[in-house]
Amino acid sequence: MTAVLELDGTRPATAVADITGCGVLSAAGPGLAALRGTGWRSPLPRTASDEPDWPPLAVAPVAGFDPAETLGSRGIARLSRSEQLAMAACLAALDATREGPGADRTGIVLGTSMGSARAVLDLLRDTFQQARPYLVNPSGFPSTMMVSAAGRAAIRTGLTGVNATVSGGPVAGLHAVRYAAQALRNGHADRMLAGAVEELSPEAAWAWHHGNALAADTPLAEGCAVFTLDAPGTAAGRRLGRILACETAFTADGPAAVSALLARTVRTALARAGVTAADVTTVVPGARGRRGWAAVEERALRAVFGAGAPPCLEIAGTVGEAHAAGAALQLAAALANPGPDGGLALLTSVGTDGSAGCLVVDLPASPGEVP
Amino acid sequence: MSEPAVRRVAVTGLGAVSGFGTGKDALVAGIKAGRSGIGPIEQFDAAGFDHTLAGEVRGFEPAAHLRRPGRWGRSGWFAATAAREAVSDSGLGPGSLAAARTASSFGTTNGESQVLERLAEQVVGQGTDAVSPELAGRTDAGRIAAAVAAELGLTGETMTFGTACAAANYAIGYAFDLVRTGEADYALCGGADAANRATHAGFHRLGALARDVPRPFDKDRDGIVTAEGGVALLLEPLDDALARGARVYAEVLGYGMTCDARHMTNPDAASIAECIRIAQRQAGIKPEEVDYVCAHGTGTRANEAAEVAAVREVFGARVPPISSVKSVLGHTMGAAAGFGALISCVALDEGFLPPNATLREPDPELGPDLDCVPGVAREARVRVAQNHGFAFGGNNAVTLFGKVAA
Repeated sequence: MTAVLELDGTRPATAVADITGCGVLSAAGPGLAALRGTGWRSPLPRTASDEPDWPPLAVAPVAGFDPAETLGSRGIARLSRSEQLAMAACLAALDATREGPGADRTGIVLGTSMGSARAVLDLLRDTFQQARPYLVNPSGFPSTMMVSAAGRAAIRTGLTGVNATVSGGPVAGLHAVRYAAQALRNGHADRMLAGAVEELSPEAAWAWHHGNALAADTPLAEGCAVFTLDAPGTAAGRRLGRILACETAFTADGPAAVSALLARTVRTALARAGVTAADVTTVVPGARGRRGWAAVEERALRAVFGAGAPPCLEIAGTVGEAHAAGAALQLAAALANPGPDGGLALLTSVGTDGSAGCLVVDLPASPGEVP
Repeated sequence: MSEPAVRRVAVTGLGAVSGFGTGKDALVAGIKAGRSGIGPIEQFDAAGFDHTLAGEVRGFEPAAHLRRPGRWGRSGWFAATAAREAVSDSGLGPGSLAAARTASSFGTTNGESQVLERLAEQVVGQGTDAVSPELAGRTDAGRIAAAVAAELGLTGETMTFGTACAAANYAIGYAFDLVRTGEADYALCGGADAANRATHAGFHRLGALARDVPRPFDKDRDGIVTAEGGVALLLEPLDDALARGARVYAEVLGYGMTCDARHMTNPDAASIAECIRIAQRQAGIKPEEVDYVCAHGTGTRANEAAEVAAVREVFGARVPPISSVKSVLGHTMGAAAGFGALISCVALDEGFLPPNATLREPDPELGPDLDCVPGVAREARVRVAQNHGFAFGGNNAVTLFGKVAA
């Protein structure tokens, strides 16, 4: 992705997309404003030990989100949590964006892990427990498909452009950004809403609990962040940030190889962005909330930055471990914390399957009122 | 923004795991002869279902094809096995792919659905707290493209599309863009899904399952038959393929996508027509240049009504021969558009029209003069093939393939 641009008149850089709006729903509360600074705001994470079906694990649902109020009460009950979050975030991202391309040239791409675990397991439960295995709830069937969150978001927003769903654990948000950037570059769309979504479920929480997979003081969380992405330099008005590079890669050779691969991926991204490690002003690590993987990511960052690592924006305590929404929430946190002079943020992400990815975003000095 | 420098993209390797067994040759032979890959359900307990047929892969032994099958679910097995065959078919050594920037781009409807089914059994049988973290860790659909990369030792980009029954066309299109623009040197792309209880129950409940076999375009068509499989295409720059003397099945000419944004499950003819137009425009192809349409053709009344209306809107009076390989494979979900792509490439290479094997009498409501290629494959010169994939969520994707002059 090689559009060469003058970056705020200071240094030349390539870019993949401009961020001109966003919709964020996280455990910290709605919008970018809730992600300013670090550390918890109210409400504190709920410990679910006293609720039936949930493990004794700190969990942090999205705060300040009333689905019926945002989406209307009609038909809301049959929507999965993932669908509700995605619809609301896409609406917010569009609302926050100035006029732009028509609905047929505006697309949606959402990252996920496996869609709504709750919807799939509810349907499967019916197949085992109803009088006949096919006596499942028919209106719940579409929600079992990974495609459903993006599909429902399209219906709700009326966007008839490219509509895609991509999967890939914590890296899913970066897959979505890469997909969006390619769609813009290759003329499949003029504007993309790109982001990722994750929902809480007791089954997933038990898996995290049994696997002892969360880092200390990190609640298991859900969330959704969606960004309005335009081809660099094409959109008028406010810009929340400019994505200079987004790279992903894969290795099957275990954690040490993931570290090396992530370091290589970061170097590639910085080179493609036309910047150096010394230009990075903030790192937003993605694996801090996951036991073991934080060290894998840290090794890669040390390999790239040596002793001169820029400060890290720690978000595990703000938005929790939101798995498939992780990278998208990292980007939201970066946009919410540009610093007084702006800067260059690097997001890193690793998945347990051997995926690694990173994103370089240039943050403007004065973002103005953030949504 | 500068226009990206672009390269032409060739399909030089094909691989498949299907109801006809492991291997693309078995698949192509089965389709051409109009044999059925459909039989009794074996992948899950079908007791209590009224419809008990599916297009399953029988007797598949993952250890015979894969290095570390224990790491992946059944969908990952199919994708990786098909990809391994595509690499072997291409004549490229696996080492040259591993040393290059080789992307893995695969589509799926339900991801690792059998893993989810086992999790549901745990939860239903022993309670929510019985969830195994090891199983839960294998539910991520992204592991399908990862399985391909891992089994082939690739370190390039992996991308798994969850765009339901159009997913393989999304995956092929994305891979095409990566190779076309130089983001990747090679790409393995396609789709995979596993037969599973949830999908069968869901379509059963919607009344969308056929009594016996799917009969796309037939006046008595009454639904789909659920199926499974995996399919892979190897894409590389056409110039490189020609330089190394590779067998070029076809050139990827382009693709297009639209979203209905109207209904989660009902297809929309206008949106499909627009998708076809976009694909043809991106490919630089006029409607009259298309020699064959590999239809989405599920066998439901709603699909073919919308699909034929869309095709007529684009092609006018001259509708090319149109057929659906779902007539023999059943609906392989996220792999479906990939099987359509594979057979389109072979049709271009060998010169035939794939049949609608189960067609008895074309549906008069679909209009006159519709050549649905009944029975068995028919010899024909095919220069451009158009491959359809439509999905829940109103996701439409159409890919176009062209014959490369020898």
